[in-house]
Order: sequence, then structure tokens, then C-alpha cells
Amino acid sequence: MSDRMFLKDLLKPHRIAMAAVAGGLTLLLAINMDWSWMPKYTPDILRALWITMALLAGSIVIGFLLAVPIGLVQVTGPRPLSLLAKTFCTLIRGTPILLQMWVLYYGLGSLFPYLPGLRGSWIWPFLIESWPYALVALTLSFAGYEGEVMRGAFKGVPRGELEAARAMGMHPLTILRRIWLPRAVQRVLPTLGGELILQLKATPLVATIAVVDIYAVFGRIRQETFITYEPLLMLALIYLLLAGSITFAMRLLEMKLSASR
Amino acid sequence: MRGQEHTAAPVIELRDLYKSFGQVEVLKGIDLTARPGEVISLIGGSGSGKSTTLRCLNLLEIPTSTGLLKLLGEEVRLKPGKNGHSEISDHRQLRRLRSRLGMVFQSFNLWPHMTLEQNVMEAQVQVLGRHKEEAGEVARQLLDLVGLSERREMYPSYLSGGQQQRGAIARALAVDPEVMLFDEPTSALDPELVGEVLDVMQGLAEEGRTMIIVTHEMKFAADVADRVIFLNQGRVEEEGTPEQIFEAPKSVRLQQFIQSIN
Repeated sequence: MSDRMFLKDLLKPHRIAMAAVAGGLTLLLAINMDWSWMPKYTPDILRALWITMALLAGSIVIGFLLAVPIGLVQVTGPRPLSLLAKTFCTLIRGTPILLQMWVLYYGLGSLFPYLPGLRGSWIWPFLIESWPYALVALTLSFAGYEGEVMRGAFKGVPRGELEAARAMGMHPLTILRRIWLPRAVQRVLPTLGGELILQLKATPLVATIAVVDIYAVFGRIRQETFITYEPLLMLALIYLLLAGSITFAMRLLEMKLSASR
Repeated sequence: MRGQEHTAAPVIELRDLYKSFGQVEVLKGIDLTARPGEVISLIGGSGSGKSTTLRCLNLLEIPTSTGLLKLLGEEVRLKPGKNGHSEISDHRQLRRLRSRLGMVFQSFNLWPHMTLEQNVMEAQVQVLGRHKEEAGEVARQLLDLVGLSERREMYPSYLSGGQQQRGAIARALAVDPEVMLFDEPTSALDPELVGEVLDVMQGLAEEGRTMIIVTHEMKFAADVADRVIFLNQGRVEEEGTPEQIFEAPKSVRLQQFIQSIN
């Protein structure tokens, strides 16, 4: 039922008109501009698109998994852990992610070769690549922001709902898994969509540490072909589509869960 | 009939309960004994400590100190903690005992992300380890009992306060509690919804359930309770049958209290 309502939403007169304008504009650009470079670079673009999406998905999933305990300990204590989490969030949110990425890549990354024994270990092949540093930096950044968000979300779940569970003899971990976490996640969902898009737009920074993501690939295309606008337009379109799919997915998820609110 | 049951071993035995919040001492030596099948009403003005007393019984509030707290024949183990307050020393025991007490709150506290039926099933599955089918069957029976069988697929936010509270009663009953604790169950309800909740509670009392009820509904307390306890400033001021309390109050405080509500 909700799917049909969604379609009906899209078929409003003003939306159809907007879509027609956008379509016409696209057609005009497609005909009048120079897209001859596209076939040659398509494999590169696809590979880079995959890297951007993998970095985004990986940092979101791992980052959110980290954000849950980071948010939780700030509400429940113990105090030392809570302080640690608070410090982490403050550091991450108080400094540019570009700086964090460079500290990891140029700072930590340049120290690793001097650690005895590391060269022979299984982890070494990863340490000489640049994408692991990008993934870690993006993940920590997302964890820092979402940790703060989750702190508020955990705190915002009415006490009584948790007391009701406690009064029935539920184990604290069961309460967390069945009541507290689902209720907190339900509360962050409306803001999470925006945060995911911000995270998408943080990914081009990985190009500065030699990861060939979608942004880096288009930089190379421009350098090699001396064409300026067409690659930039294509890049913008790709980001728009990615952001659009995030919004769309979040909206579906929210509709699915909003039945209970 | 009930008189015979009252000679059985108490299900709740509380002696010398003290509780402070910060510098404020709200309970100053409360005694309370409940025997199987007994319905006890706790009454008193606001701030008299009746809700706190009830919440100490299932340790939602940890007593600052007690002479004795025995639930279902078992002494609850507390240990001295930081700054003079007690702490729970055996969480496993506490969870086991809590699962045999049912609690109904003033603000219902149903879980909004679950349907009514899921609310009633939750503790059965997660605490008692019942299978889903069995828990669902019990949930349907209980929702039928409180007159909500048609709403079982609904989420709490779509229900009226009275319906939510009846659902919360069903949820508390789902673990077959030996004692039901009610913390001002009708105080958050619109006046026209109070009756439906009291009806359900009266039904439970007539079944012979052990109930401890903190309430402002004096008529209900008079009709349903075997014993009424009047609290004043953290102490038991007077205790007796509804007739003794409401028709022949001895203490001046109780006389004033009864006058103020009439």
C-alpha cells in the first residue's frame, strides 16, 4: 500500500513539469557537449564508483557499530569509559576530517615501517596500501559524529519504557537489544539520512591520500583530455544520484518503521 | 474466605524501609506485609512516599537501608555501596524475583515499537523462554481478558490511555506474577477512561490475586482492598480495613486527608 502512495506522490503535476524541464536540459547538454571521452574512461569510472561506494558503505556500517557503544557508555557510564568516549567525540568533531586523514596516512603511516616485526606480519600488505587509511579515517569520523547523536538518542528514550522492562526481570543486555537500541535507532532515523549524505560528501577527501575514488578519476580525466565542464557535470550527476538513492532508501526505511510512531 | 488465606506465609515482608534522595529522607521506616490473595491499598497525600515504597518493593528504587526485605519468601540481598547507599548484590536473584512480580505504571510505559500483542509476548519469550506460539496464545487470552482482543495488532500510539493501561496490565500478567504492583494506574487517565481500568483491576482482585495498589481512587480502595495503609511524610500513619480507615479514622492527619478528598 505504501509503495503505491509513493508513486502517487511522484505523479503530481508540478513534479511532472520539473522532471520534464530536467529531462529537456539533460538532452540539450547531451547533444551539444563533448562526451567523446566517455567510452574510453567508463571502466575506470565504474571501478572508482565502486571504491567510493565501498568506502561509504564500509565507513557507515563500521562507524555506526562503533557509535552505539560510544553513545551508550556516555549515558550509562562507567565514568572512565564515558570520559574516553566524550574525548573521542570532541576530538573528531572539533578537527577537520582532512587533518585526521593526513595524520593517519602521513603521520601514523610513516611510523609503521619502523615498528619491529610489522613488516613480516599479515597486516603489512594493508598498511602499504592507502585505502585502509581512508576507510579508517572515514569510519572514525562517522563514529565520532554518530556517537554524539546516539548519546542523545539513548538518553531520549523515556525512562519508564526501560523501567517496565527491568520490572519484568529482563537482563540488561536483553533490554538493550530489544527495547533501548531499537527505540534509540527509531529516534535517529530522520537525522541519519542527512548524516549519510554528509558522509558521502566527505569521501572525495580520500583523493588527497592517493585513493582513486570517483572524484580522483574525474580529476585525471580532466587532466588527460583537457575537457573541463563535461567531466565535472558527469561527476555532479553521479553524486546527485548517490545522494538521491540514499534519501530514497532512508525514506522507505522510515515509512516502514513509522507505523509504530 | 480471604481470612483463611491470610494465615499463609507472606509473599512480601518489608521491615524498617528507609530511603533518601540526596539529603531528603522520603521514607522513614516503613513496614509492610502482604499475604497471598490480599489486596492492599497505599494511600496518602503527594510526597507521602507511597509510590517510592512500591518502587522499593521490586527494587526500581534501591532502599537506602532496610531491616528486612523478603519477596516470595526469599530475602533480597543488598550490600553496602558508595556514600552510605545500598547496592544490589545478586542481580540474578533480583531478575528472578522481579519476573514473579508484575508492575503497572502511571504512564503505562508500553513499548511503542511493538504491537500490543508483541508487548505482551516480549517478557514471556525473553524472560521465561517460552516459545513464540505459546506466548502468542497467552497474549491473545490476556488481551481478551482486558477487552482488547480486537486491538492486538495495533501500536500503542494508536490506543487511548485507558486501552494502553489495560494493555499494560495484560503485559504485566503475562509472566504469571504472584504479586501485582500498581503505581497510580489511573492518575494519567482522562476521567471517563478511569472506569474501564478499575473494572479490569477489580476483576483481578476477585480472582484472588495478590495486589498492592497505590491509588488516589478512594472509592475503589474502599471497595476492593482488604487492607488500607495510610502513609504520611514517609511513615505508616494508620493501617486497617477500609471500614476502619475511611469510617473511623483515628489519627488527625488521616481525618484531615479524608476530609480534603471528600
